[in-house]
Amino acid sequence: MIRSPLGLALLSLTLTACSPADPQQQVSQALTDGVILPIYSAWNEADRQLAVSAQAFCADQQNLAEARQAFATAQSAWAAVQPVLLGPLAEGNRAWQVQFWPDKKNLVARQVEALLNKKSVLSAADLEKSSVVVQGLTAYEYLLFDATLDLSNTEQKARYCPLLVAIGEHQQDLAADVLASWQSDDGMAAQLKTFPNARYAEAPEAVAELLRTQVSAIDGLKKKLGTPMGRQSKGQPQPYQAEAWRSKASLTNLAASLASAERIWLGAEQNGIQALLSADQAELKQRINAAFSDTRQRLAAAPRPLGELLGDEAGRAELNALYDSLNTLHRLHEADLAKTLGIQLGFNAHDGD
Amino acid sequence: MQINRRVFLGLGAATLAATAVAASTFGGWTLTRSGVQPLLLSARNDAAGRHFAVGYRLDGSQVFATPVSERCHDVVGHPFLPMALFVGRRPSTKSYLIDTRDGRLLQTLHSPAQRHFYGHAIFHKDGEWLYATENDTSDPGRGVLGVYRLEGEQLHRSTELSSHGVGPHQLLWQPDGETLVVANGGIRTEADSRVEMNLNSMQSSLVLMHRDGRLLSKEQLPEQMNSVRHLAVSSDGTVVSGQQYMGALSDLVPLLAIKRPGQPFQHFHVAEAQRQLMSQYTASVAIHSELRLLALTAPRGNRVFIWDLDSAELRLDAHLADCAGVGAVADGFVVSSGVGRCRLYDCRGKRIISQPLQLPTGLWDNHLRMA
Repeated sequence: MIRSPLGLALLSLTLTACSPADPQQQVSQALTDGVILPIYSAWNEADRQLAVSAQAFCADQQNLAEARQAFATAQSAWAAVQPVLLGPLAEGNRAWQVQFWPDKKNLVARQVEALLNKKSVLSAADLEKSSVVVQGLTAYEYLLFDATLDLSNTEQKARYCPLLVAIGEHQQDLAADVLASWQSDDGMAAQLKTFPNARYAEAPEAVAELLRTQVSAIDGLKKKLGTPMGRQSKGQPQPYQAEAWRSKASLTNLAASLASAERIWLGAEQNGIQALLSADQAELKQRINAAFSDTRQRLAAAPRPLGELLGDEAGRAELNALYDSLNTLHRLHEADLAKTLGIQLGFNAHDGD
Repeated sequence: MQINRRVFLGLGAATLAATAVAASTFGGWTLTRSGVQPLLLSARNDAAGRHFAVGYRLDGSQVFATPVSERCHDVVGHPFLPMALFVGRRPSTKSYLIDTRDGRLLQTLHSPAQRHFYGHAIFHKDGEWLYATENDTSDPGRGVLGVYRLEGEQLHRSTELSSHGVGPHQLLWQPDGETLVVANGGIRTEADSRVEMNLNSMQSSLVLMHRDGRLLSKEQLPEQMNSVRHLAVSSDGTVVSGQQYMGALSDLVPLLAIKRPGQPFQHFHVAEAQRQLMSQYTASVAIHSELRLLALTAPRGNRVFIWDLDSAELRLDAHLADCAGVGAVADGFVVSSGVGRCRLYDCRGKRIISQPLQLPTGLWDNHLRMA
């Protein structure tokens, strides 16, 4: 259960709902049906396939390349969820179960090995009780991609397969649970579509949370790029602190997240956040469109994986340009767009009092 | 910009009209005590980032909004005079004494040299003395209570007491009105700074002391980095404290504690599902003495909780973005938000009912007081 039934405090129905013509409500509704639910559904489907793949691979019905492909799809689907990481998966640290990043001390490798040394037979229940470090995609990636492992070797396969299967199942269950709580009668999707409700007093509160999630996701992309570039470590590149360094998918993940963020901005039918800007705000709209386009093209044009780009001057220059591009996109959202839409992104939460 | 402003204004008018119609349909729903609507006092910003000391009736009517030069934190009402001190947010050296009838600024109170306010203070019940938590910046973090005397419409520094700890934050009275309860957060900070200096050697404590300065008890929680910050005291003397944990986000640390009369200071039972939602950070706590309820805001988790004070049964676990101040009113609790609408949680029935209030949206500071 995602949420205590106690959390579903009944709202007094005496406030009339906003009229359907309310643009904020229209945007929130359109994004929920046209962008957010499809993203969560795709993630759910990818995790279902991941569980199938783990079973098949461990039964020798899939080869390593196929298993890696299923993982890549699931990882990419998860990256796509991040700009819409609000509601059930965002609360109570549940997202930690999907991915463990940053992993500064290589805890993933250490905890996977420690767990398997302790338990040669591993059930789904054992995994539930274990640390989040070994429950998610990062541990799954370690099993399929780490250079010290070779799952085409029968002996190793026997050691690691129970964990692979258990993670696949865990991810599948988690995604199904989250999707169900989005889709339930008074679930997250309903709360983003009709107002007032137990979560939002009015549509602008929902739109504000969508924008807040978007801004924090774009900031997260900066961190995912900036950390391996050494922006937090005096410029010294840290390739092993990249997200998904083992599967060399760091930039692919960024592109998947960025694509979702752009869909939130545009909307499935031009009815995303940008629809809230008026004709006299066309210039800001163009600047944000251009910023998305610039970042997207830089990611698409990246010739090599992140780890390789970090290794030489030309590569680092490209990454710097990409970082600057993300930074522009972030600033346009955080400052210009939030201000123009009259949305307060934060006030007390990081106050420290 | 103009379109959006119109949209917001339009919405405001529409919901206001709906509320006016609805007011008679609440079936005994009352925001008032003895026929007078309580006054909500809080620090608040406007969209341009200017700071105000504000007073609003819960129907949304503004009583005052007085510009102040710095952001304030808690508000301390005088026990019987229409005045309140809006206390400077740490490390401010200024607080503002305001006439709550019209918002007139009576005095800008300055802390003495080498002292700054921590954001909380309290008037003694006879109305003559005010106690404020302060930092002795000549020995950073050494907690003192500045003692001020009200003479006419002015507060004057009289003396100071030790808070018997480091980095004191909120302080309140026991029901006798003579015993102070002090949350010593345990964190050292320097003048003009909010940067923690001693996270690995923090010593946070809950102190009971007489207002003459005598230490009556000093208790600590087992987790060294768990900072006791905010307090609520019920009419029977039960003290509840809300903590902010300075260690890792993944550490399993309880964030609410309770000291029932005559009993030790200990953790208040919170289920893991709720504890996790708090992101190691609690902001404001309030007790409803008549309904025996405890309310807590956790702005990093965007969560408002209400428990039964005696049984610790969970009564509400609700999302509210950047929730801030909480205060008890006749029917339940009023909660403000830094980014969204304020809410009333009507706690009279078995089911707690959430109702958005027609107060300005967002930019409310951490604490509110009902006067």
